[in-house]
Amino acid sequence: MLFPVRCFTCGAVIGHLWEKYLERVQRGEHPAKVLDELGVKRYCCRRMFLSHIEVAREVLQFPKIS
Amino acid sequence: MIYPLKIQILEKTPFSLKLYIEDISLHVLNSIRRAILAETPTMAIDYVIFVENSSAFYDEYVAHRLALIPLKSDDAILRYKSPEECAEAGERRLFSADCFAKFDLTAEGPEEGEVTVYSRDLVPSDMYVTPVYDNIPIIKLIRGQRIKLEAFARLGRGKEHAKWSPVSIAAHKYVPVIVISYDDCNNCLKCVNSCPRGILTISNNKVVVNEDKLLECSFCKICENVCSTSAIKVLHRENSYILNLEFTGALNPKTTLIIASEILIKKLEEFETKLKELGVLD
Repeated sequence: MLFPVRCFTCGAVIGHLWEKYLERVQRGEHPAKVLDELGVKRYCCRRMFLSHIEVAREVLQFPKIS
Repeated sequence: MIYPLKIQILEKTPFSLKLYIEDISLHVLNSIRRAILAETPTMAIDYVIFVENSSAFYDEYVAHRLALIPLKSDDAILRYKSPEECAEAGERRLFSADCFAKFDLTAEGPEEGEVTVYSRDLVPSDMYVTPVYDNIPIIKLIRGQRIKLEAFARLGRGKEHAKWSPVSIAAHKYVPVIVISYDDCNNCLKCVNSCPRGILTISNNKVVVNEDKLLECSFCKICENVCSTSAIKVLHRENSYILNLEFTGALNPKTTLIIASEILIKKLEEFETKLKELGVLD
């Protein structure tokens, strides 16, 4: 789904960093360097970025069933 | 405990604080830590009323994302009613202005492509209670999808839900002391190469501790384990600790520490009064 607002494990706010991260990584920068510069230190928060897949992009196209 | 406490600031940024505290007992420091983590009140969205939600996301999913957004609470903790009173008002669905700060959100998907709704799109009723970060994505919408909601934020405590905690990290650790016995050391340098934090270095053909990096020691004791002559020992200093706090931004570090200490003092006073009432103390 969408990128989480907070890290699942430690609760640090990370939601506001996702778009900056994505933009820089797509430009070809190394994820480790980008995360260091964004101040994401712990591995719990770092995996949130590295393992995230924007499923929402596809889910968005489906009508809501409710 | 020995007074006065010796406190040294190791790191200080608007969102984090690292303190080196000497002459404090563990249980006192832990009480302070837990008061910060679980007792210090902050504002967070607790009720969301959906007027319309034709987006691809469930109401609960949107409400959960809204709740996790930290809100500036430095001013609010003085003006709004206590978490306990407001929890009760919320149960009865009485969203009075002295308990709840209101946010409105209305958004519609564009004709072409998609739109991201950010935390800055929340329209606050109280100008002092606003999201700390204005670029947290809440949801995405495409053509024909609409969202209209009212969100109510109230004061709460971290013990009720982690969204109300002013800190994301509140931890203390021991202060490491690495002792090397040069009589036993055979200069195999295994310890230098095995330390994952690179704390040990070589100087004048001897293994020495890099004092600048010493505090990074995680007490993994790999150096102790690889040493065949047991020449290296990782010990810790008594009654000295490193307190590491990382803030969500809801409260500034200063307010957090002051409020947490006040709460702790109040609890101890209550305990004392109760004991006096019962005649245990006179």
